Amino acid sequence: MAYPYVHEKEVQIVSRGWGKPRTRTIDGWRELDGYVGFRKALEMGRAAVIEEVKKSGLRGRGGAGFPTGLKWSFMPKEKRGPHYLCCNADESEPGTFKDRELLRWTPHQLVEGCLIGALAIQADHVYIYCRGEFFEANQVLARAVEEAYAAGLAGANILGSGVSIDVTVHQGAGAYICGEETALMSSLEGRRGLPRVKPPFPAAVGAFGRPTTINNVETLCAIPHIVRNGGEWYRQWGTEKSPGTKLFCVSGHVRRPGNYELPLGFPMNELIYDVCGGFEEGRKLKAVIPGGASVPILSADECLACCLDYEGVQKSGSMLGCASVIVMDDRTNIVKQVRRMVEFFAHESCGQCTPCREGTTWLSRILRRIEGGKGTEEDLETLLALGTQMTATTICVLSDSAAVPVASSIQKFRDDYLALIRRGEAVGVV
Amino acid sequence: MSSPLDSARPSEIPFRNPGWAGNTGQFELTEAEVRGDEYIGARALDGGHPSGAPAFPFMLVERNPDAPLFEGPYKTRFEKILTRYPDVQGALIPVLALAQEVRGHVSPSTLQEIAQLTGIPEAEVRGVASFYTMLNKRPVGRFLIQVCTNISCNLCGGDEVLHAFLEYTGTELGETSEGGVFTVTEVECLAACGFPTAVQINSRYYENVTPAGVPALLDRLRTEAR
Ligand SMILES: Cc1cc2nc3c(=O)[nH]c(=O)nc-3n(C[C@H](O)[C@H](O)[C@H](O)COP(=O)(O)O)c2cc1C
Ligand code: SF4
Ligand code: FES
Repeated sequence: MAYPYVHEKEVQIVSRGWGKPRTRTIDGWRELDGYVGFRKALEMGRAAVIEEVKKSGLRGRGGAGFPTGLKWSFMPKEKRGPHYLCCNADESEPGTFKDRELLRWTPHQLVEGCLIGALAIQADHVYIYCRGEFFEANQVLARAVEEAYAAGLAGANILGSGVSIDVTVHQGAGAYICGEETALMSSLEGRRGLPRVKPPFPAAVGAFGRPTTINNVETLCAIPHIVRNGGEWYRQWGTEKSPGTKLFCVSGHVRRPGNYELPLGFPMNELIYDVCGGFEEGRKLKAVIPGGASVPILSADECLACCLDYEGVQKSGSMLGCASVIVMDDRTNIVKQVRRMVEFFAHESCGQCTPCREGTTWLSRILRRIEGGKGTEEDLETLLALGTQMTATTICVLSDSAAVPVASSIQKFRDDYLALIRRGEAVGVV
Repeated sequence: MSSPLDSARPSEIPFRNPGWAGNTGQFELTEAEVRGDEYIGARALDGGHPSGAPAFPFMLVERNPDAPLFEGPYKTRFEKILTRYPDVQGALIPVLALAQEVRGHVSPSTLQEIAQLTGIPEAEVRGVASFYTMLNKRPVGRFLIQVCTNISCNLCGGDEVLHAFLEYTGTELGETSEGGVFTVTEVECLAACGFPTAVQINSRYYENVTPAGVPALLDRLRTEAR
């Protein structure tokens, strides 16, 4: 039931209740077998829950694709003080808009996932770090948490099991970098959202100096279904290495943009032309960014053969990221769009590392110059060299991300740059 | 190239927020159902359950920069926020948001007061406040209009929507219109990329906004402001 369009090829697991206001309520969620997974998890015990999640092969949906069960197993088994679970609901990667729908349509799904996660890693407190701009989602979620407390599903001695888990909806205040896990923890602690050097990893020293696990909204939303139906069940979709379903956020020049829940490994071609209805009359595909602003851009030819799972997209020369498929047709002025993405990174850089702080600004200035028809061919070499210096030299990967669209677009759309440099004319118009 | 504004004739185009799925033909939904109005219900002044109680920096009733900090229900909310974090510093950002809800922006004197109230050094409070874009360091208009011009929206005309807002409000980017009604700014991705152009006005999202729809939207806001 993904939103706002539905397609018959979808497999509805986490998006099942979307578009139905009743699913927001605790009763509506229970009608969809809500909280059955949590009850089962309480009986199974934490070790068995982690085993089940490992078996499912679920990989983190926040971008990196790290196996969730494995991540949970890094948490200390011996508890010497509080543990925390942070749900990363700070969605702000350009092109990504799945978590907002999960938050506003199925808040109880997330609350249940958080409770199961907290049980598995022995967390006393779950912080749902929700993006500040999401006022509506924030309210919906706060209400759902309130309902969970009232039903005895959160708080002290849950359902008489002796387990106590508190849940807090934390409202962010506007900073993309707080989506990065260590920055999220800094921000949660009430500081500037500055990423930290790893190690120590969050499972050892995390939020408030305590062992912490950070998971994306979509990851946690899949958990209740996996626990309820078993890990094997989840493997019937997707590929061996990328099992299960994934929300694909399609935006840009397609007829039916939106979220679609599809099995991993779905062909990109089919997603664009069949599920999303292709392009306006007379237009054709120029480029696709398959995973949000921080992954390499793909040319039309590369898209044709691309399968949308973690390995498949990598084989095509990009990354699945959070499956934010940004589609561009032949009107697109690539240089302008790349410049816009770089400006985003320049705006969102936290400023701790020189290559990132200075590099993103330089990149955007040079790109502006080229866009304005005043660039030179040497500028392209400068851009590439800057990109190299910005890669693998900083605390977090925002710096690398900023260099990625520049390098990949110069490689694949050099003619667009050259047209602007030589004739001062953009190839597209948008 | 003809300007996208050519086709926009105020008042002729009825306003609608097409950002809900009521009009895709696949869902039958009202805007209130999409926004969850009924589910949320009226917000308790004291913030309800301590687990959530989000702040609403733009839903200001008074927007009085001289209002006392945290009295009455705001005091209750302040105290609830403190219970949610292991230490006082953890509560700082929600407390700043709450202060903005009361006063409309976080002025230097507000920051000073918060420092005194929480015992956190003033330099630290200022450093934190300056990091986050949603904390207004100076006053903004009654309506803070934030237009997404990031890639997905931009591909579908985000820049034109921004220009339409600037033109019809008669302001410059980041400035406040006469009478303190509108402040128009550019914003980074609002995570509504499938509904371009996404615009956030105070606490509310407007989706699928086109340059032609801007005049009617502004008319509606002006009526609300009266
Ligand atoms: C600059 C940057 C921004 C990020 N933003 C987000 C985000 O908005 N939401 C998210 O879930 N993960 C984001 N991540 C990824 C997180 O650091 C982290 O890997 C993820 O939340 C882990 O959850 P998962 O294992 O469930 O995927 C971001 C990473 C970086 C480097
Ligand atoms: S790479 Fe950029 S965003 Fe990341 S820590 Fe360094 S300066 Fe901050
Ligand atoms: S790009 Fe405009 S909302 Fe994401």
